Amino acid sequence: MSTLTQPPRAPRTPGTPAGASPAEPFAPPRYRRPLGIGRDTVVQYAVLAFLAVLVLAPIVPTLYQSIRNRPLYEAGGAFTLSGYTDLFTKAGFGEVALNTLLFASLTTVLSLAIAIPMAIVVVRTKLPGGRLIALAMQWPFFISSLILGFGWIIMYGPAGFVSVKVQQVLGSVPWNLYSIPGMALTEAVALAPIAYVFCANALRQSDASLESAAQVCGAGPFRILAQVIVPLLRPPIVYSAILVFSVSIETLSVPLLYGQPVDIDVFSTFLYHNGLQSVDPDYTMLGAASTVILVVTLSLVAVQAKLLKDAARFVSVRGKVTRPRKLDLGWLKWVSIAFIWLYVVVGALIPIAGLVMRSFTLVFTPLQSPFRTVTTKNYELVFDSDNYVQSLWNSLIVAGVGSVVVSVLAVFAVMVARRSTFRWGRAVEYLALIPQSLPGIIIGIGFFWAFALAPFGTGSVLQGTVYAVIIAFGMRALPSAFGSVAPAIMQIGGELDNAARVSGADWLMTFFRVLRALVTPAFAGALVLTFVIMLKEYSPAVFLSSADNNILGTTMLSLWTQGRAGSVAALATLQIGITAVFVALAGLLMKGKHHA
Amino acid sequence: MPEVTVKNLAKTFGDNSVLRDVTFTIEDGEFFTLLGASGCGKSTTLNCIAGLEQPTEGSIAVGGRTFVDAAAGVFLPPEERNLGMVFQSYALWPHMTIAKNLALPLTIRKVPKDQQRTLIHDALDKVGLAALAGRYPHQLSGGQQQRVALARALVYSPTVLLLDEPLSNLDAKLREQARAWLKRLQEELGITTVYVTHDQDEALALSDRIAVMEGGNMIQIGTPHEIYERPAAPAVAAFVGRCNFLTGKVVGLDGTRHDVRLDANGEVVRVDSERRVGAGESVTVAVRPERLEVLASAETPAGVNHLSTEVVTSSYVGSRYEYDVRLGDRVVQVLSGNGGLAGEVALVFEPGNALLYADRVELPEDQRDLLTVAR
Repeated sequence: MSTLTQPPRAPRTPGTPAGASPAEPFAPPRYRRPLGIGRDTVVQYAVLAFLAVLVLAPIVPTLYQSIRNRPLYEAGGAFTLSGYTDLFTKAGFGEVALNTLLFASLTTVLSLAIAIPMAIVVVRTKLPGGRLIALAMQWPFFISSLILGFGWIIMYGPAGFVSVKVQQVLGSVPWNLYSIPGMALTEAVALAPIAYVFCANALRQSDASLESAAQVCGAGPFRILAQVIVPLLRPPIVYSAILVFSVSIETLSVPLLYGQPVDIDVFSTFLYHNGLQSVDPDYTMLGAASTVILVVTLSLVAVQAKLLKDAARFVSVRGKVTRPRKLDLGWLKWVSIAFIWLYVVVGALIPIAGLVMRSFTLVFTPLQSPFRTVTTKNYELVFDSDNYVQSLWNSLIVAGVGSVVVSVLAVFAVMVARRSTFRWGRAVEYLALIPQSLPGIIIGIGFFWAFALAPFGTGSVLQGTVYAVIIAFGMRALPSAFGSVAPAIMQIGGELDNAARVSGADWLMTFFRVLRALVTPAFAGALVLTFVIMLKEYSPAVFLSSADNNILGTTMLSLWTQGRAGSVAALATLQIGITAVFVALAGLLMKGKHHA
Repeated sequence: MPEVTVKNLAKTFGDNSVLRDVTFTIEDGEFFTLLGASGCGKSTTLNCIAGLEQPTEGSIAVGGRTFVDAAAGVFLPPEERNLGMVFQSYALWPHMTIAKNLALPLTIRKVPKDQQRTLIHDALDKVGLAALAGRYPHQLSGGQQQRVALARALVYSPTVLLLDEPLSNLDAKLREQARAWLKRLQEELGITTVYVTHDQDEALALSDRIAVMEGGNMIQIGTPHEIYERPAAPAVAAFVGRCNFLTGKVVGLDGTRHDVRLDANGEVVRVDSERRVGAGESVTVAVRPERLEVLASAETPAGVNHLSTEVVTSSYVGSRYEYDVRLGDRVVQVLSGNGGLAGEVALVFEPGNALLYADRVELPEDQRDLLTVAR
């Protein structure tokens, strides 16, 4: 090593810079800070405060109602614990809890039984049509579990198309959809893709050389599967199990549709029946029940967070270039393919096809060719009624306005939580993610009470309007928006911010001058996601709805109880159609942007 | 005058202390380099000057203006410090043209549009890229991007220029050229510059003064000549240039002259050192490979240290020969002009060319294993 060293340079005489640099000093930027608080800080605290109010608004009144003996909107209530005692003595809440536990456990087991083998064979083995299957697994993005429930009943329900056909052939129907196993099966079909995504991502990211190492040691494909791949899957399995479990605890659709005719109640339908369908609802007990359910779901999230520290909270595919080698299962791959397509076709395609068929027929049964009664009457009925058209518009307004508001909020929340030195950044993140663990129906009840308590009459302005629905749905969609924006923003190098800061831009100007353009794709992605989520959403609305702010979901539910399956099918078909068209258009638009 | 004064700077993350009591002053117009391995705290120091990180303790002032003073609760955010900074990744805003990249800091400073145009042109001209003003960053090569980043940092005449490993993303040949160019530019502009690097060659070639950092401490500040010739600690000697470390015990002492019995093979060498170490104490003798010479055993001059060794490997590295010789159970590296030696050789060095440090220097385990041979 020959490092030449030089003696230090002769010190320059100050004040005579060499060269022709025009050393004009510009005034360094100054930002006003009245009372030492800059506008950055104001915005950051505003985001924190807004999220805190939004998240606490439905929770605090719920807790408060559970210990007041009068409804919150009436004056003169007093402290009481009777809500909790009534819950377990009079109301039969014990049986409801048992049903819920049974339903959620069975759903979890079934959805994992579908998802884990599917993820392994699709990601890790040579499978014809693997890409198509991966695509097909995205179907629940377009179809809400409410609509899936309608579809299942139309096909597999006691008077369903398939059931009747089977009855003709076998003489009896070997299944009963209106039971806890029936509910669990439908819910598992709807939730399996969630577990699938987690396991598939984990499999894609795991190091392929681990398998190669096993292969070199002489292990065959089955030994590799059993001793290398499956053990590595434990974290995503545990995580998705908890996720599926907590989603099935809070779900309303399937238990409501299947349980109502045979009087099976779970947590969510218990709240629904006691809050909405009883003539004189016992709000104290309702509050107590909501509190108990909240405690259950929040502690599930706590367990989840403990098991899974930080990183994998977002369902995001991290780009990894190395592609794992795929194993060959031999003849077994045909069995796997048959199993997967059975799931897709029987679970989703047949019910949805049945729903669409139902919307175009007057009578839908195998006893008579459906083509004999082909009609557009179901749609005419829908479009002739101002109420139904109104609910269609309301849904579009809620999804359209809501998705913009929520995506903006999510971008700001991510910026504060992840791209600022704000000391409460973590709190902002947690607040944005908490609604994930709040059951939709409790958000509805909570906001209902929050509007009753809201100061300056703001509650009565919002109550029963479409804005109330936007707020409740928006809160439900916020965690998903945050989860989709955060990884995208984290991909933008932090030095870009730093460069802008050193150049003289404060945090806010850095965002508007530099980052905004870079964040746009993430924002657009969140927009599409939240639009679809909010279009499908309905459970918070059941407690917030009035004649003016019905949305597709609540309208379908009330039509269903009136026995007008044709109109329900028409509305459901419309909702699926709108979603598909919107996603397709958004995809085209974003693709075009990308090339420019 | 923008003189940078850093006093008692310290930074801790929880229990982890990444910067400990760092104090230094950079003079106006000086090219000052923070040198050290990754994780030594050099980037943290730079970020504290820039305002991107907030120190736990200490103060920083530039040209008499206090940027941060932890004790007094003063913290000036980065945007109000009027510094120029070039990042390792260049951090050019990808959706803006080169001209727009340079215009942003000027717009923030409310410079009129026509003046902006001249300033941007001058700044790009200075880095030789005036013709590319309309391009986007991704349309430029790495070297060009690096120069644009520099132009963006200079266009608004900041008080101090901060450079965070700006050359590390260039390939080796280009890096050397960019180094020479950067030095010319800095001398021309006379701007106070703080440079962060882990590359000792860069540091030696560019700097007026170098501060060597290790484990959050600043272990030596000096001119490149001082750092290389009189490293204050074994860690400096090891990091800047290469160095052989031989442990031993002082057996004789006469003024600055120390006689050291080496642990490796029991021979005694003579070392001249200002650093007084008492007889009987453990010491480390450090000699750079190019200050060692290997000679065929017969022809040893008088008045120099002479150790009998054996050549383990020899390789021609262009212009010189690199020898690994066995000294007892240790391998010693030698750079020599004498080629073709093998077998028994004499390892020779002058007493003034070796450095003496108190205590035994423990090498990291993996290095020690590589430098140990069986007898």
